[in-house]
Amino acid sequence: EFVLKLHHFLGPKAPAQTAMLEPWAQRIEEASGGRVEIEIYPSMSLGGTPPELIRQVRDGIVDMVWTLNGYSPGLFPRTEVFELPFVHINDPIATNLAIASMFDEYLAEEHVGVKVLFSHVHAGQALQMVKKEIHSPDDLAGLTMRIPTRTGAWVVEALGANPVSMPVPDLPQALSRGVVDGALIPWEIIPALQLQDLTDYQIELAAETRLGTSVFQVSMNQDRWNSLPEDIQQVFLDNSGEDWLREVGSIWRNIDNGGIKVATDAGNQHIMLTPQESAVFAEKLEPVIDRWVDEVSGQGIDGDALVEAARAAVAGNL
Amino acid sequence: MATTNPHPASLLVRRATAIWALLGGVVIGLVVAANVWSVAGGALFSRPVPGVYEIVQVGVAMGMFMFLPYCQITGANVSADIFTARLRGRAQDSLVALGSTIALAFAAFLLWRMYYGLIDLQEYRETTTIYQFPIWIAYVPVLISLALLSLAALVNLIEAVTGTTPEREGAVH
Amino acid sequence: MGFELLIGLGGLVALVGLIAIRVPVAYAMATVGMAGIFMLSGPAILMSQLKSLGFGVFSNYDLSVVPMFILMGQVASKAGLSQALFRAANAWLGRLPGGVAMAAIAACAGFGSVCGSSLATASTMGQVALPELRRYKYSPALATGTLAAGGVLGILIPPSVVLVIYAVLVEANIVTMFSAALLPGLMAVLFFMIVIAIYVWLVPDAGPKGEPVSRAELLGATAGILPVLGIFGLVIGGIYMGLFTPTPAAAIGVFLVVVYGVARRMVSWGAMRDAVLETAKASGMIYMIVLGAELLKIFMSRGGVPQAAAEMMLNSGLSAHMILIILLLSLILLGCLMDSLSMILLVMPFFWPVVAQLDFGMSPEDTKIWFGVLALIVVELGLITPPVGMNVFVINAMARDVPMMETFKGAMPFFAAEVVRVVLLIAFPAIVLFLPNALS
Ligand code: NA
Ligand code: NA
Repeated sequence: EFVLKLHHFLGPKAPAQTAMLEPWAQRIEEASGGRVEIEIYPSMSLGGTPPELIRQVRDGIVDMVWTLNGYSPGLFPRTEVFELPFVHINDPIATNLAIASMFDEYLAEEHVGVKVLFSHVHAGQALQMVKKEIHSPDDLAGLTMRIPTRTGAWVVEALGANPVSMPVPDLPQALSRGVVDGALIPWEIIPALQLQDLTDYQIELAAETRLGTSVFQVSMNQDRWNSLPEDIQQVFLDNSGEDWLREVGSIWRNIDNGGIKVATDAGNQHIMLTPQESAVFAEKLEPVIDRWVDEVSGQGIDGDALVEAARAAVAGNL
Repeated sequence: MATTNPHPASLLVRRATAIWALLGGVVIGLVVAANVWSVAGGALFSRPVPGVYEIVQVGVAMGMFMFLPYCQITGANVSADIFTARLRGRAQDSLVALGSTIALAFAAFLLWRMYYGLIDLQEYRETTTIYQFPIWIAYVPVLISLALLSLAALVNLIEAVTGTTPEREGAVH
Repeated sequence: MGFELLIGLGGLVALVGLIAIRVPVAYAMATVGMAGIFMLSGPAILMSQLKSLGFGVFSNYDLSVVPMFILMGQVASKAGLSQALFRAANAWLGRLPGGVAMAAIAACAGFGSVCGSSLATASTMGQVALPELRRYKYSPALATGTLAAGGVLGILIPPSVVLVIYAVLVEANIVTMFSAALLPGLMAVLFFMIVIAIYVWLVPDAGPKGEPVSRAELLGATAGILPVLGIFGLVIGGIYMGLFTPTPAAAIGVFLVVVYGVARRMVSWGAMRDAVLETAKASGMIYMIVLGAELLKIFMSRGGVPQAAAEMMLNSGLSAHMILIILLLSLILLGCLMDSLSMILLVMPFFWPVVAQLDFGMSPEDTKIWFGVLALIVVELGLITPPVGMNVFVINAMARDVPMMETFKGAMPFFAAEVVRVVLLIAFPAIVLFLPNALS
């Protein structure tokens, strides 16, 4: 009765599809008594490039997308607060719930033309180094690091290294030929890029603390959403609520754990910094928050209030 | 095929597309320079150009759109001549006219739609990752390219209808 | 037949119809794609999609090597690299029976190692070698046939625009594809030389010996190709060794040929202008085709055609190799209508899902590489076979006194060699897979 096209940028065998999107779609189909059918189109097969996904759903080219906010820098300045270091700490469940709890009051206004069904994060960015062991920001001075997002670039700069952006598939070669000395990227990507063979050190702060994360969203075109009868809308909401966000958090935590296991099994060193070492990083990274607050204040956004609220919300869910 | 001298307006459009393509070449040249600079900087001082990736994406997209009008007006788009090779001049011209009409319609449609694409990008302030370059700015030369592409297709169409198409370089039939 | 297959078939018929009445392939694809999206999904979706689709396609990072490799070839040709290559090859091979033709093949291979396009290689080397072949009284068929076939080496020897497009479409690594195509490419060079040797053995008058050259001339000519070797070594060697990824490598290649040309005073502002305008034509055409193909792909995906076609093929009960041969033969047929690039763009969204599920006794990654090289060779065959045969047209246009059929006849033995090569590569995938596996 309601056939919905869900478009995304990864391949059909990526865990994001098999472990998250497919089970979610299946539950909604079942809970709707077969009235909803969700067709998943992976690998941008309905055309365009990943940064266009958000426009595609806004314009109704597709009904739903799963996309990475960071593909469209500048589009989600408020939600970006969760990418900052020491806002997301180490628990994707906590951050997922925090985003949801702040959504109506703080974040909804920047999600124009779409109904966000749920937003989530991955386990968090960490340092993956070719041959340099890192225990303090000084160890990173002058090195070149691949960065995921603009906030990632600011993290790398604050630590004294040079940021470089590049497509993810180019990373293995860049690592193996010394174009970059390391990357700011989650563990989850290790098996896909064979990073266990290209790096020696996987480094995170004390208590699995990460250096920021990336925010994703599954969203539906607003008009399409409005056109659905209330009971069908309810099915979507029921299956995208707190329970589901916890589940998504543990899915990404598990994928991430699987990644670091591949690395340590291959003989890589997984370093968790001591609390003292971590404190030095925290101090160095404090200006990143200020830089972000400055940046978004240019758009008339009260960054300080967002940081405060986000930190409180994450802490409340840890 | 007729070899009357082309109309001055047609010459003007031809000249404009060539100059525009050369400017596109300059843009691609800058992309080349950024890459060379990045590799050299990376090798010598371990300081590659941080956002060379987005320079390539935006620069090549602009440069390639700027190439299109020249590509159109010189008839460089591949077509299969085999079934129609035996047709006489007038019939040949009417097929060229058909192809040019489709090109004109497509270019004008794209121009119209991408204008709204530009408005969207302005409204939602999308930028590139590292340099925070507002992407709508890159759409400006693209829209000019599409306007010129429409004009080029129109020139092709008029020349085909009036039988004043200049003989193509390397024409094989 | 399901609804999806009807849509696909309808789209294909419309496409062929438009191409047959000489609508440029890019616009034919775009028209059918847009009409299809309109019919399946309505005007609103079509209009919205075109707001950013074009820019998205044109800003594809992996495609950026296409204009750069084309520009590199154009500048290399202006900088006299083509003459230097032919002179050196001729100094070594010219004195053999058929030797000048062999030299032309070797020079085409050398030029192909810095140029990503087949037509550019054919026209560049044609201008250099055709006058020489005529001067030595080579038969028109052998002379023009050799150059038409030699031009194909422009794309069979990496860098290769078609391989880049294939890699983008099936999400393969460009470097892997380049290294996979290298040994088969060298094999083509060898086979082409053998073809010439047999040809002049059967028809001695067709390819007389050239003049022997002095030792000084030999050394001088050989030294003349050192810059090519240097640029090739750095750029392509750098790609294989993993020193650079393809985009920076292509940029360095452009930079080096410009520096070389300016240093040799061969590349003036005027020459640079011509090179850019030629690049605008060649790469603009390619990007237009890519955009048209993207629209067509969206139409077919929305209609569920690729999955339906894949299922039909896979449920047909044919063996993996039978399906492979059917797919390759259908590419040869399509070659009557369109150029290699359009073909790859048109069929891969259908072919790849089929091939990916066939079992050839190798890993899926290896299958992807192997099939890419096979498809590359087969689509390139269209360049030298009637009725379209772009390379034949280009070379024939340079020798106006030679009937087109003579050139096609001259290219036939090379076509036969290519068929043998495809059969060998199907029988021994290791020829394709050896180098990429050794390098990784
Ligand atoms: Na080549
Ligand atoms: Na052909």
